[in-house]
Amino acid sequence: MGTFIQLVIDGLSTGSIYAALALAIVLVNQATGLINFAQGGMAVLSAYIAWALNGLGIPLLLAILAAVVISFFLGAVIERYLIRRFERGDPDTAVVVTIGLLTLITGFCAWIWTYNNRLFPSLFPLETIQIAGAVISVRSLGTFIVIVACMLLLQALFLGTKLGLALRAVAINPASAAFSGVNVGRNLMIGWGLAAVLGAVAGVLVAPQLTLTPGMMDSALVYALAACILGGLSSPIGVVVAAWLIGVLENLAAVYVPFIGHDLKIAVPFILIFVVLFLRPQGLFGRKAVVRV
Amino acid sequence: MAANTDLSNRSPLLERPWVRWAVIGLVIVLMIVLPLMLPEFANQTIARIGVFAVAVLGLNVVMGYTGQVSLGQIFFVGVGAYVTAFGVNADWNVVLVFVLACLVPAVIGLVIALAAARLGGLAIAMVTIALPIIGVPLAKRLSDFTGGSQGTSARFSGAPEWTGLYDDQWQLYIVFLIGGITFMLTRNLVRGKYGRAFAIVKGNEAVAGSLGVSPYRFKVLAFTIASLIGGVSGFLYMVVIQYTSPETLHFGHSIELLASMVIGGAGSILGSLLGGVWYVLLPQVTNLIDPNITAMLQGAILLVVLFILPGGLVSLPSLWRRRGRDAGSGRPGGPVGGAMKADAAASVAGSSTVGDALGAPSTPSPPPPTTQSPPPSTTQS
Repeated sequence: MGTFIQLVIDGLSTGSIYAALALAIVLVNQATGLINFAQGGMAVLSAYIAWALNGLGIPLLLAILAAVVISFFLGAVIERYLIRRFERGDPDTAVVVTIGLLTLITGFCAWIWTYNNRLFPSLFPLETIQIAGAVISVRSLGTFIVIVACMLLLQALFLGTKLGLALRAVAINPASAAFSGVNVGRNLMIGWGLAAVLGAVAGVLVAPQLTLTPGMMDSALVYALAACILGGLSSPIGVVVAAWLIGVLENLAAVYVPFIGHDLKIAVPFILIFVVLFLRPQGLFGRKAVVRV
Repeated sequence: MAANTDLSNRSPLLERPWVRWAVIGLVIVLMIVLPLMLPEFANQTIARIGVFAVAVLGLNVVMGYTGQVSLGQIFFVGVGAYVTAFGVNADWNVVLVFVLACLVPAVIGLVIALAAARLGGLAIAMVTIALPIIGVPLAKRLSDFTGGSQGTSARFSGAPEWTGLYDDQWQLYIVFLIGGITFMLTRNLVRGKYGRAFAIVKGNEAVAGSLGVSPYRFKVLAFTIASLIGGVSGFLYMVVIQYTSPETLHFGHSIELLASMVIGGAGSILGSLLGGVWYVLLPQVTNLIDPNITAMLQGAILLVVLFILPGGLVSLPSLWRRRGRDAGSGRPGGPVGGAMKADAAASVAGSSTVGDALGAPSTPSPPPPTTQSPPPSTTQS
């Protein structure tokens, strides 16, 4: 029983990281209707920035905060000067643009910092605590709490502030939002900036576990995309629940299903997707979209 | 529809049948003579280009012609290569091995597409990105078939005694033969009835449905054919490289294939060939400067191409011609061919007002690279 609880809590912790990336993807998708495949790459870049600042002697927490702020502006700039030309156009082209961006950013990290693994210091102490007979690392718990806090903040921003209202208006109908005096362009930039911030948080939380490499977030991105399919892109809560579900299920499957094991657990969300697809094509929480000619 | 725009873009000389036949004849003669003349390294490089041109061609069927972003093409190449290696090492007849190397990826592709195409939109991209990422650990796990992380090699493509050829010449002939047939069959496919159905599905799924063209069925069909062509590429991979390992399936290679397709020219047969050239030659060139910049350069060039040359390298000649013509009529730098079609599709979808409200440049957005830009000289290949 102890192992089981431990697996569940560790699963929630890694699931939280997928959830952060998935939320970033949903945020961008709601605002612009495209899937940003560069989200993982942007998170890696943020983590490298934090690492480099920390290397210059800046305390870790400050370095991370600085990286988060820089990420916000990077995200906004990318939206303004790169993505905007392809928004609302053919979604396939826009996706290829984000894939090009992913290659560019990953390549950039590799060029500056090489493909060698870098040790990233952990925000949380490497201690463990006992809960209900399970040994749980403070890092897992901390990761979980930080991501939940981010989600609550985001929710508060969307539901409780004027900026949140404007962002939602742009997401739902950019044309009407523009007619009612909302600056659509600026809100899109803010949306991308916030998505980059979420990615940056995910990046610095996952970097101590995986060590920092340019391809660090590749599989996390795959999990996040799987969570988006499972949860339905129109439902932020849905993708978070799906990400947690994936995190827990893959952890359990890795231990309790012999064939899957640790290396094949990435297949778990996709087996889940296949099952869900045949039962509920719109995702677990999504609504069915009606297409009109 | 495509044929009409083709005619207006092609120079009159190339339209004459005898010129076309002469060009085809010349290409065939070159394909027979060149392997005998060129040094070994050049032959090997051309053979590699052939391998990856076929892989890009498969990606073009699903993405360039049908408008589904696939990030998993390298997975099917890898499966084809593994099936070939396994069959050869088990001493099966080589024709049987080839058929299996086509069929196994096709069946896997069919199953995946049956599920993924139900979601529509970008879900295919989101599902297929998982293929190479699951493929690598899977290939390591199934070590009885794949040789684990050591990989597996199969030497079956040495030149037979009676030919008197060197191995590299023989391999290049195999690539020319199988690759050439694949290119010809694919060209006929995308020019014919199925190609028109693909184009309608790509243009607007709702319209396709109302015309009686099932988007689901044709998306699944295109994905399956792309997987099959990926398998052909995998077979050729073993012919030329004779060794495969989980590294073959690496996620990065899938991205490179996609970049090569867009840079070569999406929705174009000749563009697939250029994509293969790009895939093989870019790393060779950048390795001379600094191996670490390859990925960055690939990404940067992909973005630049999307910005200024949405039709890919293959659209360069028609762009120049158009520039020259437009300079006379005072309409500088019109978008590359296919813009009108993209425009029409946009107005059907009713989204043209949104762009204005966004404060985006009020000119119609540049035609996406995946828009069927009429390949001006596909008939040559």
